[in-house]
Amino acid sequence: MSHLVDGEPGSRHLMMGNEAIARGALEAGVSVAAGYPGTPSSEIIETLAKAAEARGLYVEWSTNEKVALEVAAAASFAGLRGLAVMKQNGVNVASDFLLHLAGSGTRGGMVLIPCDDPGALSSINEGESRHFARLVEVPLLEPGDFQEAKDMVKWAFELSEELQSLVMLRSVTRLSHASGDVTFGALPEGQPQAAFHCDGFVLDANEGAVMSAPVDYKHGQQHDKLKKAEALFETCPFNTYTGPEKPEVLVITSSACNLYSREAIKLLDVEGRVGLLKLGTTWPIPPRLVEKHLGLTDKVLIVEEVVCFLEDQVKILTAELGAQVGVKTFFGKRDGSLPMVGEMNPDHVAAALAKILGVQAESVPEEYAGRAQEAGFVGAPGRELTFCPGCPHRASFWSIHNALELDNRKGFVCGDIGCYTMGVLPAGFSTLKTVHAMGSGTGVASGFGKLGPFGLDQPVLSVCGDSTFFHSAIPALINAVHHKSDITMVLLDNSGTGMTGFQPHPGLPRDALGEDAPAIDPAEVCRAMGARVEIADPFDIETTQQVLLDLLQDRKGVKVLVLRQICALSPEKKGKKLYEMTLDQEVCVGENCGCNRLCTRIFRCPGLVWDHEKQAARLDEVICTGCGVCASICPSGAIQRREVA
Amino acid sequence: MQVFGPNELVDDVLKRDFCIGCGACVNLCPYFRSYYGKTAMLFPCTLSQGQCFAYCPKVEVDLDALSSGLLGSAYDGSPLGGVQEVLASRAGEKTGPGPFQAGGTVSALVSFALQTGRIDAAVLTDREGLIPVPRLVTEASEVATYATSKFTAAPTLAALNQGRRDGHTRMGVVGTPCQVTAVAQMRLNPLDKKDFQDGVGLVVGLFCTWAVDTRRLAALLSERVDPRGIRKMDMPPPPSELMVIDTGRGKVEIPLDEIRPLVPQGCQICPDMTSEWADVSVGVMEGTPEWNTLIVRTEKGRELVEEARQEGVLVTEAMPETNLGRLRTASLNKKKRALVRAREKGVLNTSDDGSRSALRVRDEVLKRILG
Ligand SMILES: Cc1cc2nc3c(=O)[nH]c(=O)nc-3n(C[C@H](O)[C@H](O)[C@H](O)COP(=O)(O)OP(=O)(O)OC[C@H]3O[C@@H](n4cnc5c(N)ncnc54)[C@H](O)[C@@H]3O)c2cc1C
Ligand code: SF4
Ligand code: SF4
Ligand code: SF4
Ligand code: SF4
Repeated sequence: MSHLVDGEPGSRHLMMGNEAIARGALEAGVSVAAGYPGTPSSEIIETLAKAAEARGLYVEWSTNEKVALEVAAAASFAGLRGLAVMKQNGVNVASDFLLHLAGSGTRGGMVLIPCDDPGALSSINEGESRHFARLVEVPLLEPGDFQEAKDMVKWAFELSEELQSLVMLRSVTRLSHASGDVTFGALPEGQPQAAFHCDGFVLDANEGAVMSAPVDYKHGQQHDKLKKAEALFETCPFNTYTGPEKPEVLVITSSACNLYSREAIKLLDVEGRVGLLKLGTTWPIPPRLVEKHLGLTDKVLIVEEVVCFLEDQVKILTAELGAQVGVKTFFGKRDGSLPMVGEMNPDHVAAALAKILGVQAESVPEEYAGRAQEAGFVGAPGRELTFCPGCPHRASFWSIHNALELDNRKGFVCGDIGCYTMGVLPAGFSTLKTVHAMGSGTGVASGFGKLGPFGLDQPVLSVCGDSTFFHSAIPALINAVHHKSDITMVLLDNSGTGMTGFQPHPGLPRDALGEDAPAIDPAEVCRAMGARVEIADPFDIETTQQVLLDLLQDRKGVKVLVLRQICALSPEKKGKKLYEMTLDQEVCVGENCGCNRLCTRIFRCPGLVWDHEKQAARLDEVICTGCGVCASICPSGAIQRREVA
Repeated sequence: MQVFGPNELVDDVLKRDFCIGCGACVNLCPYFRSYYGKTAMLFPCTLSQGQCFAYCPKVEVDLDALSSGLLGSAYDGSPLGGVQEVLASRAGEKTGPGPFQAGGTVSALVSFALQTGRIDAAVLTDREGLIPVPRLVTEASEVATYATSKFTAAPTLAALNQGRRDGHTRMGVVGTPCQVTAVAQMRLNPLDKKDFQDGVGLVVGLFCTWAVDTRRLAALLSERVDPRGIRKMDMPPPPSELMVIDTGRGKVEIPLDEIRPLVPQGCQICPDMTSEWADVSVGVMEGTPEWNTLIVRTEKGRELVEEARQEGVLVTEAMPETNLGRLRTASLNKKKRALVRAREKGVLNTSDDGSRSALRVRDEVLKRILG
């Protein structure tokens, strides 16, 4: 990590895209960085937090993405460089402020970095942040490799200051999380000073009040800025063309798709026939530059991920240019040459190019593909998505599931985003029945809880993680309390933002910089709202179940159950066992009537395996974390636990 | 006796709403549990044969198999089942004070059986508010604590299953006819297990015409009675047409017209009023609320009653012939109603055609009962 701060200008380092972005921000002299954890974005803030002391930055994990953008914007208003970082859904959360910030303009360089997740590798949607740039009308940049990931961040800040506008720089999973060589630039000297000038004439961009009104004046200004951006983009060094002077096909692309396209062209051995226009500035696209390249050929393939963005813009431009560039044949998502959904990869691009060029695309030799498939089928065991051994969520869902079954009124649980989303799967006993945005479980439950008069007599529950509670469940819960909605919220408090790597949140006594911070107790917050609040340890299955059953009987109003138990992977807990576990295979009832493999068939902690030979369960001591929960579900007493002193 | 598994139990009993919540399937394994008067299956079980199905009194009850297994003769459909003697009885001086439901015969016999080591624990039914709760009792002095009838269908047998797991081998079970039927099925070792132990030492059956659904009764009474204050519930014999609830601060009377709709479906196909598979069966005695009707059925039952009487634990008298006649008629009427209803619902099997059913009885016996 030390090279991040100490690396000499001109030295080369193998870096993850997110680290390159962080180094770029340091080279740009960023003063304030704020974000909310979310894959694939989290390492940017984490990396900056590590450099914070040495480089004199302020870095925070904000309560949610809107607040992160606001915190970073304040730095810009005070003349500093501010950076906000989030995953793609975060931009939705921040979007209200985003629109206003686009309108108000900025002072010190202000950059928003959203990291998208095409193919939803660590998400439950394929959301897109690029379209926000067009929607709120701010410039958008997209690095096409690791070096650019660093360099463009610096340029983004300069551009932002030149335009006095927010600039968006979008990364994607395969750029953020893959690694490549990066050559460093210099780090700036000195500590910039902050001052907020606000006593000038109201329309003065540097001295007046900061706001998006008067709207027609400000909106007009915003368009002037975009025109200026467009002009600058015409000569931007991050827009490059490689290929022959007269290609048969022009590929227009950006971001990680640049890498896929380069690979595909090489794979097909068609470097002499295909031209590659890689755009680093994707909104607005530079019209003259694109026009020039459109003039090279009649066939254009647009390679991008998720919702058509470049394709739309290029087609609009072609229509506008009509006579100058003539009729083009476009290939891309809309004509089906490339898939509409999911991640892009070199194979998809190669297949599309091969079709257009009339060549054979055999990305993987048939024999190799066959062998790989065979090896996979025989060699790789079936693996399901599941909670870790000793995960408190498994225990929590066990109790929630059982309480709802016992209650026997077809109660259901509304959920949202976190590790606990897996509550929809058998891993969580299929307990979750709705899953949407962060905090939405409780909002949706609040609505369900008002449907009693329409005949809905099922108990309504929601689950929400501790980080999510602060992020966006609080307004939903307040709504439920105020409207006397009949719901039970189960707060799965595992003391951290487990899914994204234990970033701190307002419930914890330390901040992103590792400094002491006042912790806010969610239970107290709920009590202050007037909800009935109970607290239990999810590993104590009996008590948890009983408390839940009691809460379910209490039909009126909002009830909150805080299930508190640290995540099994958290640094405090990892490797420490609460219990020494033993499993007596002689006592185990196994597949027989009386148990029928409860532990390995239903509970399914990875620490327990079915021993086919002995026809009994077996404990995998290496994997077992010693949480002790399985001892309380085993009907025969075969599983025993002994407290570790 | 046909034995299937939990999936069939769920389909035939739980989904069709015939479950009476007796608790026979509860605590055998991790899957069936009882809460607030209802039996739930927590997770699916894949076995094709199971104790749960085998013991349930609402599915595949083969009356011939029970009769030949327990009494050594085919089921003949007589109104009161196998009878040695019918007596009038009440608790004697040596039995501590009540409050009992009627004469206290049940509590007297059970505490005596515990005292004399005939049984090593008693399976009884307590009440928390309106919710019936099973109890396993090992002290004779505790038996009276759980006296009086809870007219809500109770998961009593969950305590029997628990007691068996805990190592009791001679438990005394007090149960309604459906529960006694379940216990009878347990005793026949329907899964042919080696080293099988039913854990039962004595069965004291209660008379029962019907019970009510706990949750529905709680909903009905929620506005009228504070369940925590309830001391006793009674249903005085006809023509009273009332359920009387002693709240400690006076009596609340609920017309039976309001109660009858709360009777679960399972009761409506129940052909047994007098717990025919018990060692002794006990009911109220019409016209004399301080006395019970006592049917002595088995040798074991006869010895117990005999000794209890000698020790002054129980007092008995001859049963007047008119009462006996009325008892027979009431019991026969319940059989008729149940069999007709079961036939209507398509869950009565008389022909051995292999299809699953709730009740199995030979055609000639059915004809005899229906007259
Ligand atoms: C649901 C129900 C319906 C009944 N219907 C009739 C009827 O129609 N005609 C009739 O003559 N008698 C009926 N009885 C029986 C009657 O109410 C008395 O239980 C019986 O006469 C014994 O009286 P006792 O004084 O000896 O009982 P006690 O000495 O007071 O003992 C009663 C015993 O019954 C057990 N018990 C209480 N409630 C339940 C329950 N829900 N399930 C299983 N066990 C229970 C208790 O554990 C206790 O041991 C019914 C009982 C019940 C529970
Ligand atoms: S839950 Fe217990 S009895 Fe059942 S298979 Fe696992 S170890 Fe054996
Ligand atoms: S104690 Fe049991 S449940 Fe917990 S981690 Fe070990 S095997 Fe899994
Ligand atoms: S078959 Fe056995 S293990 Fe399965 S549900 Fe029935 S009693 Fe339980
Ligand atoms: S009637 Fe008894 S045995 Fe049958 S399903 Fe219901 S509780 Fe289980």
